[in-house]
Amino acid sequence: MKKIASVIVLLGLVVSIGVQGQTAPSSAQTESILLLGGTAHLGTGDKIEGAAIGFENGKITFIGSEKNVDPASWDRVVATGGKHIYPGFIAPNSRLGLVEIGAVRATRDYNEVGTFKPHVRSAIAYNADSEITPTVRANGVLIGQITPAGGTISGTSSIMQFDAWNWEDALLVEDDGVHVNWPSVYHKHYDKGKISIEKIKSYDQQLQEIESFFTMSKAYCDYTGKQTDIRLEAMRGLFDGTKHLYVHAHDMKQITEAVSFKKRMGIKTMVIVGGRDSYLVADMLRDNAISVMVQCPHTVPRYEEDDIDLSFKLPKLLQDEGVLFCIENEARMSEINARNIPFLAGTAVSYGLTYEQGVMAVTLSTAKILGIDEFTGSIEMGKDATLFVSEGDALDMRGNDLTHAWIQGRDTDLDTRQKQLYRKYKAKYDAQK
Amino acid sequence: MRLTIGLLFLGLSILAKAQETFPQNGASDKDLIMHAFTHCKVHVDWETTIDDATLLIHHGKVVACGQDILIPKGAVVEDLTGLEVYPGFIDLNSSYGMPKVERAPWDPKPQMESLTKGAFGWNQATKPEYDAAHNFVHDADAAKAYREKGFGAVLTHRKDGIIRGTGTVVTLGSNEHLNVILENASANYSFRKGSSRQKYPSSLMGSIALLRQSYYDLDWYYSASDIRETNLSLSAWKSQMDLPQFFDTGNKWDVLRADKIGDEFNTQYIFFGNGDEYQRIADIAATQGALVIPIDYPAAYDVSDPFLARMVGLDELMHWENASRNIAYLVDANIPFAVTSEGTKDAKEFFANLRKAMDHGVDESTLLKALTFTPATLVRAENVLGKLSAGMQANMILCSGPIFEEGTEIYENWIQGERFVLKDRKALDLSGNYNFTLESTMYELKVKGKRGENKGSIQLIDSESGDTTTVDVTINADRDQVNMKFSLKDSHYDGMLRLAGTIHMSSTIWDGKGQAPDGSWFDWVAVKQGIEPSANVDTDEDENGGEEEDISTAQDYEIVYPFMAYGRSHLPEAQTILIRNATIWTCEPEGILEKAELLIRDGKIAAVGRDLNLNLLFPKEVIEPIVIDAKGKHISPGIIDEHSHIAVTRGVNEGSQASSAEVQIGTALNPEDINIYRQLAGGVTCSQLLHGSANPIGGQSALIKLRWGATAEEMLVENAAPFIKFALGENVKQSNWGDYNTVRFPQTRMGVEQVYYDLFLQAAEYDAVWTEYRESLLKITRKQRRQGYEPEAPRRDLELETLAQILRGERFVTCHSYRQDEINMLMHVADSMGFRLNTFTHILEGYKVADKMAKHGAGASSFSDWWAYKYEVRDAIPYNGALLHEQGIVTAFNSDDVEMARRLNQEAAKAVKYGGVSEEEALKFVTLNPAKLLHVDDRMGSIKVGKDADFVIWSDNPLSIYAQVEQTYIDGRCYYSKSADEQQRKAILTERSRLIQKMMNADEKGAKRKPSPKQVRHYHCDSEFDESND
Repeated sequence: MKKIASVIVLLGLVVSIGVQGQTAPSSAQTESILLLGGTAHLGTGDKIEGAAIGFENGKITFIGSEKNVDPASWDRVVATGGKHIYPGFIAPNSRLGLVEIGAVRATRDYNEVGTFKPHVRSAIAYNADSEITPTVRANGVLIGQITPAGGTISGTSSIMQFDAWNWEDALLVEDDGVHVNWPSVYHKHYDKGKISIEKIKSYDQQLQEIESFFTMSKAYCDYTGKQTDIRLEAMRGLFDGTKHLYVHAHDMKQITEAVSFKKRMGIKTMVIVGGRDSYLVADMLRDNAISVMVQCPHTVPRYEEDDIDLSFKLPKLLQDEGVLFCIENEARMSEINARNIPFLAGTAVSYGLTYEQGVMAVTLSTAKILGIDEFTGSIEMGKDATLFVSEGDALDMRGNDLTHAWIQGRDTDLDTRQKQLYRKYKAKYDAQK
Repeated sequence: MRLTIGLLFLGLSILAKAQETFPQNGASDKDLIMHAFTHCKVHVDWETTIDDATLLIHHGKVVACGQDILIPKGAVVEDLTGLEVYPGFIDLNSSYGMPKVERAPWDPKPQMESLTKGAFGWNQATKPEYDAAHNFVHDADAAKAYREKGFGAVLTHRKDGIIRGTGTVVTLGSNEHLNVILENASANYSFRKGSSRQKYPSSLMGSIALLRQSYYDLDWYYSASDIRETNLSLSAWKSQMDLPQFFDTGNKWDVLRADKIGDEFNTQYIFFGNGDEYQRIADIAATQGALVIPIDYPAAYDVSDPFLARMVGLDELMHWENASRNIAYLVDANIPFAVTSEGTKDAKEFFANLRKAMDHGVDESTLLKALTFTPATLVRAENVLGKLSAGMQANMILCSGPIFEEGTEIYENWIQGERFVLKDRKALDLSGNYNFTLESTMYELKVKGKRGENKGSIQLIDSESGDTTTVDVTINADRDQVNMKFSLKDSHYDGMLRLAGTIHMSSTIWDGKGQAPDGSWFDWVAVKQGIEPSANVDTDEDENGGEEEDISTAQDYEIVYPFMAYGRSHLPEAQTILIRNATIWTCEPEGILEKAELLIRDGKIAAVGRDLNLNLLFPKEVIEPIVIDAKGKHISPGIIDEHSHIAVTRGVNEGSQASSAEVQIGTALNPEDINIYRQLAGGVTCSQLLHGSANPIGGQSALIKLRWGATAEEMLVENAAPFIKFALGENVKQSNWGDYNTVRFPQTRMGVEQVYYDLFLQAAEYDAVWTEYRESLLKITRKQRRQGYEPEAPRRDLELETLAQILRGERFVTCHSYRQDEINMLMHVADSMGFRLNTFTHILEGYKVADKMAKHGAGASSFSDWWAYKYEVRDAIPYNGALLHEQGIVTAFNSDDVEMARRLNQEAAKAVKYGGVSEEEALKFVTLNPAKLLHVDDRMGSIKVGKDADFVIWSDNPLSIYAQVEQTYIDGRCYYSKSADEQQRKAILTERSRLIQKMMNADEKGAKRKPSPKQVRHYHCDSEFDESND
């Protein structure tokens, strides 16, 4: 019944927003807001039952119990009793805003031509008016690392928040890291009608090229000449620690080689993205302080004899080994499926993580890996008020039902074009009755 | 045909000297001299041996063979004392002497029509007109390689295409005119389109449909009275119908597939097998077909790199270990089989692999039978080949001992009386120690090694120190002539000595002349000291591979089904089970029952409810069920996936034409798809396997239950309502296929409509002709029948026949659809043609026309929340399911995805999230509703007495993200349980480790194979795939 009630509430909104068009970004927080009651999942691994969470000027200023707070001292009090409060979920390694319709070439902006293109930046191609992003936001995913793809060095990602007029507004961290697609060790081989996979003959050569590019980039840091190489310029941050190196790799051999590459090259921060085999080299990753954006748990295992639930339990395997990890969702149609990131965490909880660890895997851990945990990623004092309220358990399809979301304290519109279409046709059929 | 063989035989026996018709250049050789081989052991055939026999051959044939044969005067007599003579082997799977198959250069533009010039059939992959005998050319190198393996004759055909034309039996001699001994010996088939680049067929199921249609066309071509076309392909094929029919298969499942086609057309094929038959021996035996099997056992993989070794599948490891048992299994199952050497690289590997089969209990006569009698019989050449009795071709192998025994030498392979020497049988065995006198100085010469490959050495003893040094001696012996060279440095000689001489008295004495380093000549003699190292010591130590092979027969290995990871030696049995204390989601009006009980019996749901009293329910029987306490657990009906592409092999789309109604997914199933097991673990019990969406009219669907371990046939749901896949929109108009695919009609939504009208009108007309024919059959008078009058049957067209079934309401449509306009259009087509569209699948804009769909009576099977992956799904919304459901449309959620199908329960929960469908109704989206859409709701889809016991035990509310499947039952059999799965994981690890260790220890010669795992191929609607590239 509650659902129907909320639908009616939404129907009420139709009038104010109008059927067509975009949801508008909100203006900066002016009044202080207190969320009173319910369960607050802080993202840190802790939770507060009967919570009171307050924020002013876009920052969290109060975390406590509903018993120890004076609602009267807040401009606006939102009753969240019986509901769940979460820090905004984060979509790392995402193409959101870089593609609108996967099959339509004109809308694809994530894969630039070339092999080594660290100078290619996702930030400026980010479409703040994408119709996909609001649908993702409506399920609690409020921040993303917008990431280019393709080639050996695919480009430079940026971290954006999902309530913005334009890419400039959206930026949380501009050019946070460079992405390397570690060369495949094996390739498909066709011979006399038979398909096999063999070690790529040029694998060593490709490694050599990567090494050579990084070596030049490192040398370029000390270059004092008058000319500029924009590719090498884009690599600079990897050596002074201002940029992370994201290595997209799945195979055990790829990961192992990447780790030794990091040491050899003096890379400050390396993150493995995907990491299908990361559980097999978990101790090595932990000992070298390399974190993992673990592949979409909703993926079939690579090998027939793998444990059938291997992808589901991969987060738990890394948790047990003490590896810092978060969940990413690269797969077919990952941009539209970013709205299912909460359920990826739910699956990880079903397969071993504690509930709060599951929340952490899409909030604070992600923020730590992205290097944004100083100001966002959890409900902690002084951090951005990027958080949402759900009627129920947001990691479960049945409970994920957002009533409010704030990004940096701005009250974010949860409407979507899909909801608008729903209302439009619902109204049509209701009228027929 | 037997007559032809007889004539051919007669002809040859008279004209043994070839080319009687050819003019002679020079004096004539009349081939007067007969050959007699005496004192040998002759294996007359696979089961008959004569000791101390005489074998007479003349004019390329055996004249007589036996113990008391009178040798005519004027014959060449060869004493073969100690030797054995075998009939030459016959290889049936060969393309010896056939021209190389050329493939047209790749062209990105689709080739819609055949490039074959002339009045031949429409499809380039069917070429029955290809005549092997006409194209055969002697190939000296290939013949030599065969002869070394002991072969005397082959059945050769060109391995290209689906209907390949004839095969011809040729011997491996040097003269085409003599060698072709059976001109038309076979008709040959396969599922592979080969060199043809014509688009159709592009899938295995397309190949099968093409072959079936060709058979029907042949029937028609020869029965119809009014034929306008001339089809040379069909007339050529007609003439081959009485020949042995050989079918080249790609794996064990292909054998079953081909046999099914054979059954339809009253043909028993002989199968070219693959060596994996032991993995399904009972099913192979049930085909009653003979097999021609290879013995090219897989080599060990290089597993030294543990990273790379992971790519080798458990199934490949298991096959590596067990491939050599295949023959033993065939013998046990009484399957007639011939052995082909195809795939073995040389004689050494060929014989070594035959011996490996013998290690598993196969005896010599069985192998001999499979290399002589059986192949001869299969090509109806048993009166010409395979034996050494009078009148047979003189194809025979001379060897030093039992032919399959290790160390036996094949000396000669005679083909039709033509001698081919492989190894000089008169070569002397020189090995031994000799007193070696050079002039007057005595040395000791040691000779070792095989016959014909001797190596020598001289021991020098320093008279003062007593130290011994060894000098190598190079020995070249040719018949009884010998020469040696070696270097000495002692008190007599200093430098290279060269000797030449003669060997006497079976190598007891050698003598001759030598030249010293200073150029002076001297006499030398070597006298054997006595019999020392055995003549036939094989110093080649790795002959055996150094492998500790378990010597065991077929029976003591436990085959698992399927033969791969998570296979089981025994399939689950139907049990009587009582589950107590469960929360049961009945999907019936009873709703969700708390603390309820479920009784399963004979594969059906026997009772469901609270506090069941079995005595009351079954007063006349004693029911003693296995009791499961399911406290805290939930039970749901088995999940039914309305739209799946698992377990389909070699192509899910036959998208080469706008309509491929004739193809059947059910003919191309792969019951060894691991996703069957993975989805069982997600609670799926039944899946509709659909053709892809590459064309407006796709292929016929298959409905399977996920009976992991069963064959494809056994997985098919019995008496399932027939379905066909249609598709609309971007896929069928090839919008996202690149710039070259702009040729095939239709390319717009406008064209799509016309495809339907055109084809359904054709189908209606086709149906009318057949109806008329059937009625005329009923009208035949007794008199007409007596006179043999019969109305003429129209041509059977598998495509139109399928469409006519739709018009008659005998086949249901599942239509891939997105946009409201085309959904509306298709409903108009159906309404005007008088049929109903059963299901719109995907149906992402269904919510826009839900009222129209409800009026038409169509059901919906949707994605829960997919959208925006192409332009036509821009308006897809996750509320679609809820809106359709609210309009009274039977609504399901499907996967179309191997991963999502593992958690369709979660997808159902999205109907709760988006649109507020109740949990009880939402679960029906993946259980009862798809059962209704598939017309199986009388036996599946809900927990109701009398229905199939297909259900799932969940750890939690099945719509919860935290729910896990604990057990999945199909027909009352537990096909998945979490606890058994845990056990299997351990077993897989143990078995894998054992096999890897064994493989590491396998010291096989030559380069080991690089790991090459099976291609992982997951189908979606859009998957385009060319069978010929597989």
